[in-house]
Amino acid sequence: MLFWVIAAILTLGASLAVLLPLAGGPKGGSASSDHDLEVYRDQLSELDRDVARGLIQPAEAEEARAEIARRILRLDNAADKATARQPSMATRLVATAAVLAVPLVSWGLYSQLGSPDLPSQPLSERLAKNPADSSVDELVARAEAHLAANPSDGRGWDVLAPIYLRMQRFSDAVTAYRNAIRLDGDSAARQAGLGEAIASAAGGIVSADAQAAFEAALKLDPANPKASFYLAMGMAQEGRIEEATAGWQKMLAALPQDSPWRGAVEQALAESARRSVASGVPAKGPNAGDVDAASSMSPQDREAMINTMVAGLDEKLRQNPRDAEGWMQLIRSYVVLGKADQARDALNRGIAVFGSDSDEAKKFTAFAVSLGLTATE
Amino acid sequence: MVETGHFALVLAFALSLVQALVPLFGARINSQKMMAVGGPVAVTGFALTALSFAALATAYATSDFSVANVWDNSHSLQPLIYKITGTWGNHEGSMLLWVLILSFFGALVAAFGSNLPATLRATVLAVQGAIGATFLLFILATSNPFARLNPAPIEGRDLNPILQDLGLAIHPPLLYLGYVGFSICFSFSVAALIEGRIDASWARWVRPWTLVAWMFLTGGIAMGSYWAYYELGWGGFWFWDPVENASFMPWLAGTALLHSAIVMEKRSALKIWTLLLAILTFSLSLLGTFLVRSGVLTSVHAFATDPTRGVFILCILTLFIGGSLALFAFRASSLTAGGLFHPISREGALVLNNLFLTTATATVLIGTLYPLVVEAVSADKISVGAPFFNLTFGPLMVPLLVAVPFGPLLAWKRGDIFAVAQRLMAAFAAALLAVLVTALFIDGASVFAALGVGLAFWLICGALTDIAVKSGLGSVAPGIMLRRCAGLPRSVFGTALAHLGLGLTTLGIVGTLCFGTEKVLSMHAGETVQLSGHTLRFEGLYPAQGPNYSEDRGRFALLGADGSTTAEITSSKRSYPVRQMTTTESGIKTIGFSQLYLSLGDEATDGSVVVRLWWKPLVTLIWGGGLVMMAGAAMSLMDRRLRVGAPSRRRKSAGAVPSASLP
Amino acid sequence: MTRKQKRLSVIAGGLAFLGAATGLTFYALGQKASYFYMPADLTTASLQPGQRIRLGGLVEKGTIERGQGTAVAFSVTDNQKQVKVTYTGILPDLFREEQGVITEGTFRPDGVFVADSVLAKHDENYMPKEVADGLKSKGVWQESKSD
Repeated sequence: MLFWVIAAILTLGASLAVLLPLAGGPKGGSASSDHDLEVYRDQLSELDRDVARGLIQPAEAEEARAEIARRILRLDNAADKATARQPSMATRLVATAAVLAVPLVSWGLYSQLGSPDLPSQPLSERLAKNPADSSVDELVARAEAHLAANPSDGRGWDVLAPIYLRMQRFSDAVTAYRNAIRLDGDSAARQAGLGEAIASAAGGIVSADAQAAFEAALKLDPANPKASFYLAMGMAQEGRIEEATAGWQKMLAALPQDSPWRGAVEQALAESARRSVASGVPAKGPNAGDVDAASSMSPQDREAMINTMVAGLDEKLRQNPRDAEGWMQLIRSYVVLGKADQARDALNRGIAVFGSDSDEAKKFTAFAVSLGLTATE
Repeated sequence: MVETGHFALVLAFALSLVQALVPLFGARINSQKMMAVGGPVAVTGFALTALSFAALATAYATSDFSVANVWDNSHSLQPLIYKITGTWGNHEGSMLLWVLILSFFGALVAAFGSNLPATLRATVLAVQGAIGATFLLFILATSNPFARLNPAPIEGRDLNPILQDLGLAIHPPLLYLGYVGFSICFSFSVAALIEGRIDASWARWVRPWTLVAWMFLTGGIAMGSYWAYYELGWGGFWFWDPVENASFMPWLAGTALLHSAIVMEKRSALKIWTLLLAILTFSLSLLGTFLVRSGVLTSVHAFATDPTRGVFILCILTLFIGGSLALFAFRASSLTAGGLFHPISREGALVLNNLFLTTATATVLIGTLYPLVVEAVSADKISVGAPFFNLTFGPLMVPLLVAVPFGPLLAWKRGDIFAVAQRLMAAFAAALLAVLVTALFIDGASVFAALGVGLAFWLICGALTDIAVKSGLGSVAPGIMLRRCAGLPRSVFGTALAHLGLGLTTLGIVGTLCFGTEKVLSMHAGETVQLSGHTLRFEGLYPAQGPNYSEDRGRFALLGADGSTTAEITSSKRSYPVRQMTTTESGIKTIGFSQLYLSLGDEATDGSVVVRLWWKPLVTLIWGGGLVMMAGAAMSLMDRRLRVGAPSRRRKSAGAVPSASLP
Repeated sequence: MTRKQKRLSVIAGGLAFLGAATGLTFYALGQKASYFYMPADLTTASLQPGQRIRLGGLVEKGTIERGQGTAVAFSVTDNQKQVKVTYTGILPDLFREEQGVITEGTFRPDGVFVADSVLAKHDENYMPKEVADGLKSKGVWQESKSD
């Protein structure tokens, strides 16, 4: 509401700036010859000063004086012929159009461009309002502002870390978990979370760093399901399918009936069983959110989710094609899903990226052959 | 507040349309009322643009990420000063600043233009309004800084770290004051062409405006050069980068304009040429804007670029440059020529100055545009860099600089070159002495270096001679001389100061290029290095945390003769996590007019760090000279001669416009 | 000389000056402009020995070797051909593997490019324009919108 009042006042002011001069009484404008005469007089007096200072020779000064005098004479000849006319119909029309143009153009354009209902949102105000009304983003920002001011608040980092993980801000999650561990000490949950964050940041690959974190978690709590699950996943990714299967089976035996991990483990087992036939391994470990979701999913939904992940990997490779590991993962995923055409397409695209005579291309071809796939059909 | 700013911008556009059309129409039909519209509308338009700019700056200062532009170029952790300067550290905001300054100059003409003939004033304001309307339309259509995001993100994407520097607070505003200041000269020229005659008061007005614009442009270029020098960590002060050239061309043309405007003002000669030069100078400013903003050239300055913007700016360029030149071709013959002069005279010297400066401008223009033309024609990609400009620009500048001291001493209309040469004997002797001292007493000085130093001294002493001769040195008693000196017009001091500044800049360039030394080496903590008589010890790398970056600070101690630390220099590598960018902060120690400059390279696995060191003798004079030139321009502006032209006080007050009701 | 003759001689002088300046400019353009090449373009380019060029492309992965002190060697590739480059000095802040660079210098007789300046892109979204265009024309690199 306030905005519309201000807008109306501004428009009124701007219209008045046009209207007042047009409506005002007649003005006696000074003729331009008067201005010129003043300048010529000044030039003459300056000439005298220049002569006195020796900047011009007397003979030349005379010449210059004559030049200026001629200009003054010409001025008198060209005395103002034009006189102010009475306002005609056309003039009135132009004046009216000009006055009307200001509100019309401005309100018309603004209605197209503006967002009058959107208030200003200074950050400090947004962070100061009632937390219950805030979005997750705002809460996170508030926590971040707090931690920027108090970076040694371990509990703050501990709370923020899993939220980062759920928001898929994996590298921030890694930092947050590391800070929490540094400030508040080790715990199985933190180490397992750190491992998950590292693995997720690497696109689901359980790297040596992640593995170390999971192992540290298991040392603190041998029954930690997340750590056990991901360690088995890491073995599967390295091709140690049997060990991975053994790991998951051991988990399954130990997990309570209502554990959310049950479904994920069963699914992983089912896939590893299929894969041991095709000598492949899962393309990517699901992250915590995916696991929670997958455990309560129908087989069709699960299939769809896996397809989405593979599509995501595919998309990532289109953006950053120079990733040999990624291409092999993609080819393998398509083979595992039974999509031979797409696997072949991925193989050809991968080869195209690195050039057909590159080492990578040879590696791809060999790898594809080992999966029972040939480059061209 | 944000939407108020947005609305004010739209309203300013509506007013600029009125400003472009109504006074022009009024001047055609000689309607005083319509011509009177220009003034209040220009002032109100400026107030609205300022309101709009203030709204954007407030959004930046308060980190209002519901504004897309703020989200894209700011971060809540930035220090407040960089939040505010970030307002113009991006395409949209800098265009708004451009228009703000344009409307500011328009308002100045409206406020102080009461001593101008009414039709001229109305036409000038109309042309100014047309430029404003076009650029406001450009902003609203392609680069709206007030585009909103809903829901608003909670954190911004940070300002480009290279721009997080005090230089951003000073360089663009100064540069734009210069660029846009020339729009006034342009508007005056186009107005004269529309009216078909050049009033004598026209001539009076163009020079002060040229001086103002030139002063700011000089400052902007000098500041930009110093900023690039310390921020980029390459130790260079001028790279002949296309974007630098874009600001240098208007400066060269503007310098020519400044000189030809003197002739026009005092002798009413060179009118047509001055008018053309005014059009060309602003056209080069517009071209600079196009080159930088369109993305045709990529550099630090080309923020995010967008082809539609390029096409739009190209249209603006064609409209104003093409339109004004066509108008010139059509009308120039109807303008009358001015006074006569002998080739050897003050006028002649100024024509020579113009010949050299415009040729130099053309050289830079060709060097800047040639790669674009070649790429368009043959798809070959070439780059034209320092070697080209050194070969072409250099030979043009040297004779010009040699001639500079002669100019102010020559008499108007017909001068005596031999008498002037006699008066300059002392300056010549000083320059010769400088050459000999340099060649004989400084190790490794080449003939070129010695001659360069001589040229600089020639300029400096020539400027001093100018003042001395005009005060009557040697011909009158010291007391009278002092009185005469105090009575000299300010513009004489302005000229001398500007030429003196030119000499200082020359000295700085020669000193840095010919006597500078450089070393690149890898150092372990505790090691020392010698450079041109200075001993530096590397103390080690220390991590540190800034508000929105982390850095590794390399600490160096400057050692005195006895081995004690006399000063500490730090250079650091900063890493900005939001943009995942690294910048190098150079370490600089100023000793006299010279500087010790060092920057950090990569850290090797064995813990040593690559360090690059420069000794830059007299380098600060490069920019110091620029400041002296600015002071000269300011001095000239105070000259009383620039304030005449009103027929009489009485009539002036009658012609005053009613002050607009400001919101 | 009459006034007209004087004026003509002044104009002729000015024109001669402009002519000389134009000649110098185009001579300098021929001499001093440096051409831009990608590694794959070099086979078709006829380079004079010692001619300065600008060589652009991506820094090939795993080829950065740091030598004594500040010397560094790396390969520039356009994914079709590679050129080995040596450089002494400080590399730009954004010099990384698989990032676009422009190097300027001359070829040694043994085919190694000796660069005296190395430019990297200015920020994450910016690839040197010549390199980006070159890679696009070779179908190697697609523009990815960051939003």
